Amino acid sequence: MMILTGKTILSALRPPYPYGGEFVNQFLFALKLCWFPLLISTIAISYGAPGLQAGNFLTLFGAIDRLGGFFVLTSIREFGPNVTAIILAGVAGTAITADLGARKIREELDALQVLGVDPVKNLVVPRFLALMIVTGLFNIFAICFGIIGGVLATLTFKAPLGPFVATLLTNASTTDLWGSVVKTTCFGAIIAIVCCYKGMTASGGAEGVGRAVNQAVVIAFLGIFAFNYVFTQTLLATHPEISVIK
Amino acid sequence: MGNLTAAPKNWLAALGDVVKFAAKIFGEVFGLRVFRFFGEALRQAGVLILGSTLVIWGLAFILGLQCGIEGAYFNRSVGAPAYAGVFAAWCDLREVIPYAFGYMMSAKVGTGLVAELGAMRITDEIDALEVMGISSMTFLCATRLLAAMMVLPFMYIAAIGAGFFASYLAVVQQIGEVSSGGFFLIFWMFQNPPDLLYSLIKAMAMATLIVIVGTYYGYTASGGPVGVGTATAKSMVVNIIGVHLIGMVTTQMFWGANPRAPIGG
Repeated sequence: MMILTGKTILSALRPPYPYGGEFVNQFLFALKLCWFPLLISTIAISYGAPGLQAGNFLTLFGAIDRLGGFFVLTSIREFGPNVTAIILAGVAGTAITADLGARKIREELDALQVLGVDPVKNLVVPRFLALMIVTGLFNIFAICFGIIGGVLATLTFKAPLGPFVATLLTNASTTDLWGSVVKTTCFGAIIAIVCCYKGMTASGGAEGVGRAVNQAVVIAFLGIFAFNYVFTQTLLATHPEISVIK
Repeated sequence: MGNLTAAPKNWLAALGDVVKFAAKIFGEVFGLRVFRFFGEALRQAGVLILGSTLVIWGLAFILGLQCGIEGAYFNRSVGAPAYAGVFAAWCDLREVIPYAFGYMMSAKVGTGLVAELGAMRITDEIDALEVMGISSMTFLCATRLLAAMMVLPFMYIAAIGAGFFASYLAVVQQIGEVSSGGFFLIFWMFQNPPDLLYSLIKAMAMATLIVIVGTYYGYTASGGPVGVGTATAKSMVVNIIGVHLIGMVTTQMFWGANPRAPIGG
């Protein structure tokens, strides 16, 4: 997998660049596939987990107006990126593995090589770039809808929205936002590499493609969360100012 | 625009089919017809234990660490580092471990089921079963659901344990702003057995959904090796949406009106 990563990055940078069309295709493909699951999931998760649970806790103290500040922590820093990565891995990643796996089984990849077309450059690189960019952008989308979930939760507690928005905006910092976007872009890279690798090494006929998809999701999930742990830790420890409640 | 809405429409249609299929499997399991194949159910339970336990615990562990560090930093910022236990208790037990379980179940078990049953379907093994006079629905799908029901509650409780242990490691050993005694005092004070039961119900609802979706997509796979791959990918979409929706509804149901905290009121 590491070799594939290296090869992908190298052939992405080295001319010629024949992957423009495929890149656009993959980008639109991921966009079309993921926007609806992501919308439902982010609203659901941020209404339930941080919205209701934290809202309950804050209501006990009569400080429901602080919910906005808490949403910076949850939506922007954790749930937004995580849910984006889960959806992208589960929806776009599996589709990529299934697609590449099918091509491998039908020996289309070998045929490409015989024709002198480099599968890494023409298949992996566009998917790698498309997933990286799409995951980073979808993160913003997820954060927006996560905050809508928070708004719904605030309304459930019959609290006014003004304080929610006010604490949200005072606590949100640019560091949080770029941290979140950088994180999801790396998630996208992890997903793309794992899924392409598993798809391109699929073998064993009918069951093989299914098994490749299965392994790809498991490895992608574990990779995402392990990376997330390291990243969050580094970000929080090196930027103490973002965890100060204002 | 037609393109954009086509996919959600298809998913809704698929959902209807899944519900029909689920009703049939439930009929098989609760009509006790599945016990004719109890041996097969036990074998499936074994497969589940050996194949999936470690990954699920692994993910629960990583997310427990995550909860721990976020909780520790958050509580430090409000000036109450001693109360990191509250965050860990609620985050782990009520929200994150059920989600971790749901994600890993759909990734490992759900797609695994689709791959396995889908391969059987397209190599005509399922038709062969029918020819031999064995109800394939009972033998393949219902036994797997029964196995999941037998194994998963215990696996899930152990996963909660893994998450708790990880939070403890992150808060007490790694960040170290609260003593182990102080952490556990608050930690246990902010949870009680009904919470555990609710959390278990939440996770079991997710698990049942995932097994049903997995068997459905596997059982109805078509179109050669490519079809199996596509079915696997599709099942993942349905599972993820389902997991999030179940998470939201159960949170609202169990903790929406009553925070169940030993303070206030």
